[in-house]
Amino acid sequence: MRLDEDLFAKITVVFSFIIMAVGGLFGLVQALNRVPFLEMPGLLEVSDANYYRILTCHGVCLAVAIPIYWITGLAAFLSPRILKVGLDKRLLGLSLAMMLLGGVMATIVILAGKANVLYTFYAPMKAHPGFYWGAALLILGSWVFIAAFVKQYLQWRRQNPGVGTPIAIYGLLATFIVWIEATTPIVITVLKDFIPMSMFGKHVDVLETRTWFWFFGHALVYFWLLPVVTMWYYLIPKKLGVPLFSESMAKVAFILFILASTPVGLHHQFTDPGLAPEYKYMHTVLTLIVASPSMLTGFNILATMERAGRAKGGNGLLGWLAKQPWKDPVYLGLVVSMIIFGVGGITGIINASYQLNMVVHNTAWVPGHFHMTVGNMVVIGYTATTYAMLADLFKRKLISKTTAYSHILLWSIGLFIFSLAYYYVGLHGAPRRTSNIEYGGLLPQSWVFPMEISAIGAILMFAGGVFAVYTVLGSLLFGKSRGVQIPGFSIGNPHPEATTFNPLLENLKFWVIFAALLIIVAYIFPFYEIFSRGLSTVPPVATGLG
Amino acid sequence: MEPNEGIIYEYVWIVIVAAIVAGLAASLAYYGIALDLNPACNATPIDVDKVLQEFKPGVKELGPGIYQVDILAGQFFWNPNKIVLKDPVRVEFRITSKDVVHGFEIVGTSVNVMVIPGYIAEFSWEPPKNAEGRYLIICHEYCGIGHQEMKAELIIERTNTLLDGADIDALEVTGGDIGKITEPTYIEFEGVISG
Ligand code: HEM
Ligand SMILES: [Cu+2]
Ligand SMILES: [Cu+2]
Repeated sequence: MRLDEDLFAKITVVFSFIIMAVGGLFGLVQALNRVPFLEMPGLLEVSDANYYRILTCHGVCLAVAIPIYWITGLAAFLSPRILKVGLDKRLLGLSLAMMLLGGVMATIVILAGKANVLYTFYAPMKAHPGFYWGAALLILGSWVFIAAFVKQYLQWRRQNPGVGTPIAIYGLLATFIVWIEATTPIVITVLKDFIPMSMFGKHVDVLETRTWFWFFGHALVYFWLLPVVTMWYYLIPKKLGVPLFSESMAKVAFILFILASTPVGLHHQFTDPGLAPEYKYMHTVLTLIVASPSMLTGFNILATMERAGRAKGGNGLLGWLAKQPWKDPVYLGLVVSMIIFGVGGITGIINASYQLNMVVHNTAWVPGHFHMTVGNMVVIGYTATTYAMLADLFKRKLISKTTAYSHILLWSIGLFIFSLAYYYVGLHGAPRRTSNIEYGGLLPQSWVFPMEISAIGAILMFAGGVFAVYTVLGSLLFGKSRGVQIPGFSIGNPHPEATTFNPLLENLKFWVIFAALLIIVAYIFPFYEIFSRGLSTVPPVATGLG
Repeated sequence: MEPNEGIIYEYVWIVIVAAIVAGLAASLAYYGIALDLNPACNATPIDVDKVLQEFKPGVKELGPGIYQVDILAGQFFWNPNKIVLKDPVRVEFRITSKDVVHGFEIVGTSVNVMVIPGYIAEFSWEPPKNAEGRYLIICHEYCGIGHQEMKAELIIERTNTLLDGADIDALEVTGGDIGKITEPTYIEFEGVISG
């Protein structure tokens, strides 16, 4: 079997769902263990050391590994079909080998308990070098994929001068540009600080390494989201059989993501000492700006849906909502993920609001927020898109529509319960990242009841996740003969491919340079402050049991 | 419907979005500049190898109601772990860590700051006039296997108390009824190398 685009996509997509099964189980265990005074049966009860071990795995696997694998898989599947240009096979093979090796290596080190540092691995905590090498390999492997992707795009561009980039490709390009912006700083600090620290005991400056990390950390968020945003723009009009309401508005939104998703990292460091308020405020404003493309997106998609609904005879203020193809699990999933993301996004504006951040920083509010954003995008957005891949990529039927609906329904309801409970206790000061919050019985009583409610939410989320994994893997295993045929990507359907060529919107080189300048302006001052004060380095501290 | 029909709404929406962004940015700037509400604080570098000799944890009264509170964090303690303030008007905090990153949070207040080894975080806090009673202090950044046990207690006493003794044990205004902390809790964990 020779490695081609489809085989690459199959491997990475299947791998993502195997990881999701493990990560979701850990999520459930975490949520149950955090409920104060809850005694749990044998296997579900974990020691403190094991709690932080699985929490590290949950964060790394679900928030870093799955997006890298799944997004590269989506791009390998979709771009040759749309552009009619293949990806460089040698680069594909190299990238796959690096990404799998890196991911497996980091996971083994974590599961062996040699890296209880959580996915943020703040210095001077140190993990086994295999953790950092694995992470670096995973990221560099994704760069190799991006090289193949860009090569393919440029080839298409040469063959098709004066043609507008199809929106799906535009969105994927934006995703990968953001990923390069994000990962450059993390690769720098892992190579320069973390690997020397873990292998040779190098002393590092903690404020500096934290700043490098969050230089990466927020753009990482947009890497998670952008492929789903791309699928809203691409698949929703296709399913509806109408053009996108405004293609240029969609491209403007992607450009805003490219510009503003990286120079905002200080909004994760509002409560860090030693960074001047002026810079924090500058990053606040840029964060508010990067909220605007999401608002443009919501408008654009809803307008597309309304137009299609009205054309099918849905009248009145909301009659068009009844005329949507809700029975298609792909469509349902994409729209539900957009609604949930809207709620999560609003709470993100609260996190980003400078002074308000002091109330919620590092409280349970934050996991409430990011399960509604990234958790939702992965479990609903990625999975619903994967249902659509069944027909085109895997040549399979959907094993059962009922399990697909159950996945979307249970996960959404569970997520709302879980997140609202976490928002609530977070506002009352309950911390995140703790194996329990009893404080020897000193905890405020106001934390107890909502935490119990959150466990119910987590159980429903887990059930939804089980249905998601079952529906995907079950369809792959048994969907050849059984199941229902659901529409796939409808590559031939002209909507929304018809594109106009707008020189300003197509000139991505210009926007990348603009983005680089913004990043430099946003980061040169905080780094100047850190370095001009003189670094204050500290020795590494081992964690974990190793 | 023509593809371009309704395009006017697109521009209307862009204006609304821009107005929301500008409005939020302006109101945050107002709070920051006019009301001097900023999450930031100063950092003074300190040599982490000498922190145990040079940094003296404790509470000092600088003037009537003005306190300086120096706190040392480490795996897995706050020192001091019981802070008593009488009629505080302003509290100058100086907090540092002897090992890894910790997070200083007084539950039920807006005090929330990262504690970074190598730096002393310096900030002041004006407790609300009605703040009284016991407050739970926790560590909100993962710092190792005993992170969830890291706690301390802040007690604010008022001359003109609004509480009677019974209330102090079951307090609502302070963000919960947090019982009593007695002995300093320095926790030892097996198999953990600290510092
Ligand atoms: C079965 C579904 C899930 C449940 C029940 C669950 C539960 C939890 C809980 C309770 C925490 C907080 C742990 C703590 O702060 O001590 C957490 C953290 C986290 N979860 Fe999930 N989760 C689920 C799925 C997901 C998914 C799908 C993603 C992302 C794709 C995700 C990403 C994260 C991340 C990034 C963290 C933060 C880890 C850290 O603080 O280091 N979770 N999860
Ligand atoms: Cu962010
Ligand atoms: Cu801690």
